[in-house]
Amino acid sequence: MAEKMRENISAMLKGIDRYNPNNLACLENYVKAQVKENVYDLEANLAVLKLYQFNPNFFQEQIAVYILIKALTNMPNTDFILCKCLIDPSYLETEIIKKITDIHQLLETCQFREFWNEVAKTPELFNDINGFHDSIRKYISYVVNITYQRIERSFLKEILGNLGEAELNRWMSLNGWREDDYDFVFIANQEENIKTKNITEKIDFESVAPVLATYR
Amino acid sequence: MYYEEIAEEDYQYGLNAGFYTGDGRQDLDYDRDFTGLPLGSGMPAPGAPHNMPDMVHDFLLYLYKAVTERNIFEIQNLYESTYAQLTDTYFKSKPWPDENEVTAVVGTRENYDVFIIFYKELYFRHIYAKCQPTIEQRCDSYANYCSLFNLLLNAKEPIAIELPNQWLWDIIDEFIYQFQSFSLFRMKASAGKLSDYEMAQLKDNLKVWNVHSVLNVLHCLVDKSKINEQLREYNSGRDPDLVADEFGKQSLYKMLGYFSLIGLLRLHSLLGDYYQAIKVLENIDIHRQPLQNLSIARVLACQMTTFYYVGFAYMMMRRYADAIRTFCNILVYLQRTRQMYHQYRTFQMDMIEKQTDQMYVLLNICLVLHPQRVDESVSSVLHEKYGDSMNKMQRLDIAEFENAFRYACPKFLSPVAVIFENDQNLAGRLDPWKQQLQVFMDEVHQQKNIIEIRSFLKLYTTISVAKLADFMKMDEKTLKVHLLAYKHKMQNMVWTEEKGKSGLEGEFLSGSDVDFYIDKNMIHVADTKVARRYGDYFLRQIHKFEELYRIISSL
Repeated sequence: MAEKMRENISAMLKGIDRYNPNNLACLENYVKAQVKENVYDLEANLAVLKLYQFNPNFFQEQIAVYILIKALTNMPNTDFILCKCLIDPSYLETEIIKKITDIHQLLETCQFREFWNEVAKTPELFNDINGFHDSIRKYISYVVNITYQRIERSFLKEILGNLGEAELNRWMSLNGWREDDYDFVFIANQEENIKTKNITEKIDFESVAPVLATYR
Repeated sequence: MYYEEIAEEDYQYGLNAGFYTGDGRQDLDYDRDFTGLPLGSGMPAPGAPHNMPDMVHDFLLYLYKAVTERNIFEIQNLYESTYAQLTDTYFKSKPWPDENEVTAVVGTRENYDVFIIFYKELYFRHIYAKCQPTIEQRCDSYANYCSLFNLLLNAKEPIAIELPNQWLWDIIDEFIYQFQSFSLFRMKASAGKLSDYEMAQLKDNLKVWNVHSVLNVLHCLVDKSKINEQLREYNSGRDPDLVADEFGKQSLYKMLGYFSLIGLLRLHSLLGDYYQAIKVLENIDIHRQPLQNLSIARVLACQMTTFYYVGFAYMMMRRYADAIRTFCNILVYLQRTRQMYHQYRTFQMDMIEKQTDQMYVLLNICLVLHPQRVDESVSSVLHEKYGDSMNKMQRLDIAEFENAFRYACPKFLSPVAVIFENDQNLAGRLDPWKQQLQVFMDEVHQQKNIIEIRSFLKLYTTISVAKLADFMKMDEKTLKVHLLAYKHKMQNMVWTEEKGKSGLEGEFLSGSDVDFYIDKNMIHVADTKVARRYGDYFLRQIHKFEELYRIISSL
């Protein structure tokens, strides 16, 4: 359904019509569809927050919460920040939204253990969001991918949310990671990508020839 | 008929005869009899105001004539120099002649209704700049903008007027400025700082300076001029005229359309909508050095605004590499053209100087959070003028980040027209400036450990996690978390040329000068060493000596 809506919605967001509060109901339904069907459309979601910004009376906390959680699932992109800049500060301090911004903070600072603990405290907040846990695992895997050559198996298990052996193996094969020796997992060969660079200046003849010609 | 008479007068006075004689007696001779001027019987001399200086009187007639004749060169001259001179001489702290006085001087004749709208735009702009606008003036100015834009947008065919680009830019710029000013005024109301009369007026005029109408005007100008279609054609190397209709082909509409895009960039940024801010420019390719060859090149203020807001939006989106590139582009350009623009653009110099400083400060912030090599002429200014601030931020002086942001950020607005009386707490909390500062400071707090880790990593090629944890006085588990965060934060979405043109696109790249990876328990550090560059230095010396040699040999 969300996919079908996408085209209509995108037409709705063109030009000045983007600020038309009459579109709000339709856009809110689209947010719900995204939540249910695990798809994502940042631009439409920002348009909803924009309409809330212009018309505070229409604000619906549940929709804003959905939008923020969907933004979490699109990390490492900075969508969450974009959303935060549009939400009225008085709403940012309500209990639920405050909790989600705290969770965002944990993810941004890579405190994944604490993140999973927080999620476990209020699972009902995230259960609606189809694919939430795996989306976050994808983000965590991305951070591991850029950081590690070989990582302790136990640490990896823990930051991915205390995975069992079978689940860990599934994630490893999904990411192309393999067992190194028993305690470590081989992530990727980083020596090739991350090495000391020396940038020296190269001056070719063509770039100085005109100067030499002028001052002959 | 009237036309001819004015043309005659032209010969007698000469446009460049010097408006300001420097003779106080002559210039301030208020009682001078205007009927003595050879203006002919068509002029409404009897009603002419008696306290208007000759120079001003003549200026109004010349301006009317130039606008009517669509003499761009003359309008530009009157607008950029005469107008500024007269303002300096007669209207330093009081308004220019109002509509009635101008009507008395110029007379209601052909094209007058159009002329007076543009004149009033100047008139109100001057009040905003030099006097404190009253609530009535704020509303009247808004009404005048409505007439101006209705005139342009409701016309069946393009209206027969041409104005210099600078003036067109100033119209859009001022329109947003006054909206901004009104929003701040409304916020004062919420803080209980207005008189009862002002409050009553404000409540009667809730529709005035409404965010929807401001957005609507800018969008309509964009649509009317087909500027996006034109830019797309231009970018793909085709002739923009092929997609422009009669409106879009006319410079007035085309430039207003272009400037409205920049206006939208600014407006979206002021409302904290950085995504839309960048998106609205998707057909303007600001990354590929178009500075010198675009026709807007002559409107420096427009370029400053473009790069300032684009850079700022990138910074807020944590796309530091893009922000740094954007700021450096314009700052290098400003340094190179400094000589040139200092000579002939004095009247907006203060604003330009201030915005330049702000961009240096923003660049400084970005470079502390995301160290990178930048153009040497820019980095030497940074070290000279902002070295202290940079050191403080590098030593994690959080207050310094806040000060720098406070100084360099735009004046954010609240789009809501609601007035909260007698609730100062709520008003304070709703301050949109605080909101954006908070978002930025959250980011700084998230990154402060990274700055410290970097200072240690710089010293090693390999170091064990345990040893670094020891240095940083924290346990290994905590350090590992910080190391992950380091890698995450140093990966920025960066715009790349191959990816197409939208400034929103890009790919994740690490632009960090100190990079590393972890293998088991060992951190392997890779830093980027940039050897000193001599080429530029020697070239400059060669030119200098050659110049010296030339001077000496001519002695």
